[in-house]
Amino acid sequence: MALDMAKYRQIFLEESTDHLEEISRALFDLEKEMANAEAIDTLFRMAHSIKSMAASLGYDAVADLSHRMEDRMEGVRADGRVRSQDELALLFRSLETLEAMVAAVAKDEEPPAADDELLSQLAADSSDPATTELASPDPVGGEPKKVFR
Amino acid sequence: MARVLIADDASFMRQMIREIIEPEGHEVVGEATNGIEAVDLFNELSPDLVTMDIVMPKRSGIDAVKAILAEHPTACVVMCSALGQETLVMEALQAGARDFIVKPFKPDSVISTIAKMLEKSED
Repeated sequence: MALDMAKYRQIFLEESTDHLEEISRALFDLEKEMANAEAIDTLFRMAHSIKSMAASLGYDAVADLSHRMEDRMEGVRADGRVRSQDELALLFRSLETLEAMVAAVAKDEEPPAADDELLSQLAADSSDPATTELASPDPVGGEPKKVFR
Repeated sequence: MARVLIADDASFMRQMIREIIEPEGHEVVGEATNGIEAVDLFNELSPDLVTMDIVMPKRSGIDAVKAILAEHPTACVVMCSALGQETLVMEALQAGARDFIVKPFKPDSVISTIAKMLEKSED
């Protein structure tokens, strides 16, 4: 059986636009409080949802980037906090790239592939100090913490 | 043919499952957008089958399956999973979910999985 994919493309645009707004709000919340559990959970779920929709429509670049964001957020969720300002900046960059991809879909264009550096940074082991700075000051106060896993 | 409850926080996925199964004669009796609604609607509607997303707000699909099966041990629940969720799928199956379908959905696969589950339920 064949599904009406034009209808699903429209739903994708509506839902992913909402999801990107939620991701944006969640990131601003995490900027204020890196251990904000609700924001961490929201970001994880929104990336997951965008991934599933994009994969259904064959938007491989969107699915790939959102999948890597989801995986990254799974690690953040396990640790209970965004682990550094660098990691937060990486997530903001991922959001900007996803926004550009969805904007391309809205214009009936093929979503541009994310740059390899962004994808590899998202996939990098966050416990590796060469790829993610972990010695970060707590933005809501307190002493800088060195985190080892 | 079955009375089906669809649990998924994404309207996209709920509509897609509905569009795949309704032509097969199944009736969608309810749609839940989170794990709490899934449990509540199951209790209210007593569907023959539930399609349950794993990642949902308020209460996960895994927790919802456990809650449903604790009260209704013969409930027929199929998990909707994405690539990379193998561990969660295993947890759901161990909790009593009957089977799983993988996103992105392939209509023929969804139809055959549901048909197979309903056959087993009748045995």
